[in-house]
Amino acid sequence: MTTTAFPHVLSVRIRPLLGLASVATALIATAMALIWAPPDAVQGQVQRVMYVHVPSAWTAYLAFIVVFLASVGWLWTKRPAFDAIAVASAEIGVLFTALALVAGSIWAKPTWGVWWTWEPRLITTAVMFVMYVGYLLLRSLSSDLEGRATRAAVIGIVAVVNVPIVHLSVTWMDALHQLPSVLRPGGPALDDRMLATLIAGVVAFTVLYAWLMVARTALERARQERVLRARDA
Amino acid sequence: MDDRAVLRSVDLDLVPGITVLRGPNGAGKTTALRALAGLVPLARGTREVPFDVLYIGHRPQLLHGLTPRESLRFFLEFRGPTSRAWATPVKTTAREMREDRIRVACDRWGLAGESDRPIERLSAGQRRRAALARLDLETCALTLLDEPFADLDESGSALLWSWLREARALGVAVLVASHGHADLDAVAVRAYALHEGRVAA
Amino acid sequence: MVSGLRRIGLIAGRELRADARHPDGAVAAMTFMAALVLLESLIVGPQVARDTLVAPALYWIALLFAAIVVTTRSFDRELEDDALDGVLAMPGGADALYGGKLVSLAATLGLVAVVGGVVEMALLDLAVALPGHLALAVVIGTAALPAVVVLDVALTVRLRARAVLVPILALPVLLPQLVAATNAVAAALAGDAVASLAWSGLLVAIALVYATLGLTIAGTAIE
Repeated sequence: MTTTAFPHVLSVRIRPLLGLASVATALIATAMALIWAPPDAVQGQVQRVMYVHVPSAWTAYLAFIVVFLASVGWLWTKRPAFDAIAVASAEIGVLFTALALVAGSIWAKPTWGVWWTWEPRLITTAVMFVMYVGYLLLRSLSSDLEGRATRAAVIGIVAVVNVPIVHLSVTWMDALHQLPSVLRPGGPALDDRMLATLIAGVVAFTVLYAWLMVARTALERARQERVLRARDA
Repeated sequence: MDDRAVLRSVDLDLVPGITVLRGPNGAGKTTALRALAGLVPLARGTREVPFDVLYIGHRPQLLHGLTPRESLRFFLEFRGPTSRAWATPVKTTAREMREDRIRVACDRWGLAGESDRPIERLSAGQRRRAALARLDLETCALTLLDEPFADLDESGSALLWSWLREARALGVAVLVASHGHADLDAVAVRAYALHEGRVAA
Repeated sequence: MVSGLRRIGLIAGRELRADARHPDGAVAAMTFMAALVLLESLIVGPQVARDTLVAPALYWIALLFAAIVVTTRSFDRELEDDALDGVLAMPGGADALYGGKLVSLAATLGLVAVVGGVVEMALLDLAVALPGHLALAVVIGTAALPAVVVLDVALTVRLRARAVLVPILALPVLLPQLVAATNAVAAALAGDAVASLAWSGLLVAIALVYATLGLTIAGTAIE
């Protein structure tokens, strides 16, 4: 197995730029979310939690698509860089998923009085969370680099395939049995400024994701190199 | 298995006849053979084995709950046409011939009485013989034997010796991993020593 | 392709022959299933357990865990005397192993499903409006479970903590199958033929997706 060092330029030059961009976009999005966007007519200020909840969820889904692509990449080429990308994205994805779920709860409690609502999208997000925690658990219990990468890659692929299937079956079930939920899909339309803020939030989270990815992937590559060099000793 | 390089430098050139791979316990002989059998993905290096390999490992590799005859039948059928010396279109005749070969192999390796008893009821030596009976059934260009003499009594060893001599005469490539048996050198055409994952000729 | 199918058949045959001589895996699974159904019904109370949605849910959850038991036992047996290596060392072995286990475990699970179903229907005195649809849903649901479970067990076969890992990996992925199977059976119990067939259809689709994925990928992952 040949190792190609993670492009140095990304690590040294782009990382600080990404960091700067991340801080900048985060500040802008926060300002928009807290000040510029109007409060919701019905829910009031609490509705602003949406500007954390929705972008986190979006970024989480993005992260797991990256895990999928990296998993396929590993299985196809056996290049360790792909495995590094996969684990980095999975870890960050788990964090964002947890954030999305917690933010969702914080939004739900004062608004509708419940910590959790059996809404298809939320259920899908929760299932996704469990799957990727399982992914990380599997990795932690494997010890050799290649075996671990291959096993994780299989799960990474299965997990992504499962997400739409879960969503579909839970939506059917919801249609049939009316899951006890206060949040029905297709709610009130979004105000223009709310939409803009939401987009700003998505951008900010995506940039944050990219920044964290570069850092975590570089770290993983360094660990991989250390292991591979140790084999030669 | 920790992430530790078990095999560091193994360069083997396998030729017709018997090659011996020696080394103390823990040197990596089993891993080397498993890598050659295709069971272990290589982190580095290439495995160029462009033909069928028969790998008889350290343990008998026979599923508990099957008799020796059933296991041998499974292996033979799984290999398919490549391991039949002849191919006939008539299914029944092919099956009869296959059963015949299995019976002959079981007799040759001294399993006549036990070939229809489930493998877990057989002794270690008998299981070893059942595993070695594959040598007569699955003819492959390369045969890998990991400590084949383990568990064999005198008559079993004698049977294995006679097979080794046959193989040498036929020009089959056989790699035998062993940490003892100095007399293997008498039949061997080449010998390697494996020490801490490195090979020396 | 044909030889691939033949090899899958050989692996399945080998498995079933060994099972016939030592049915301990199937017996354990049946006992486990019966015990679980009994336990579940008792805990929620027979009134609640008889509900058209609850009864199938209890059943499928029990069958899911029975499937894990049976599959784990199957692979544990492969590790005795390194039988697994014997298969993997042959060309086409790794690929045939997944398909073969799929077939043989589906068959064994079928037995467990029937026994478990009979036990549950007797315990809860269930009235079945559409027995044909029920049978169909059970057959499809039972056949759908191994695709994921075999993959997860095969993936973790050499890992120490596989007993813990397999449920964690399998449960979220089997959630849609459980939803579909439960609803298919519930509809059959209640007499809704269209709904039962629709859910069974979804189950077939899901099973095909995972079986295809498994057949494609499992060969590279088993070691």
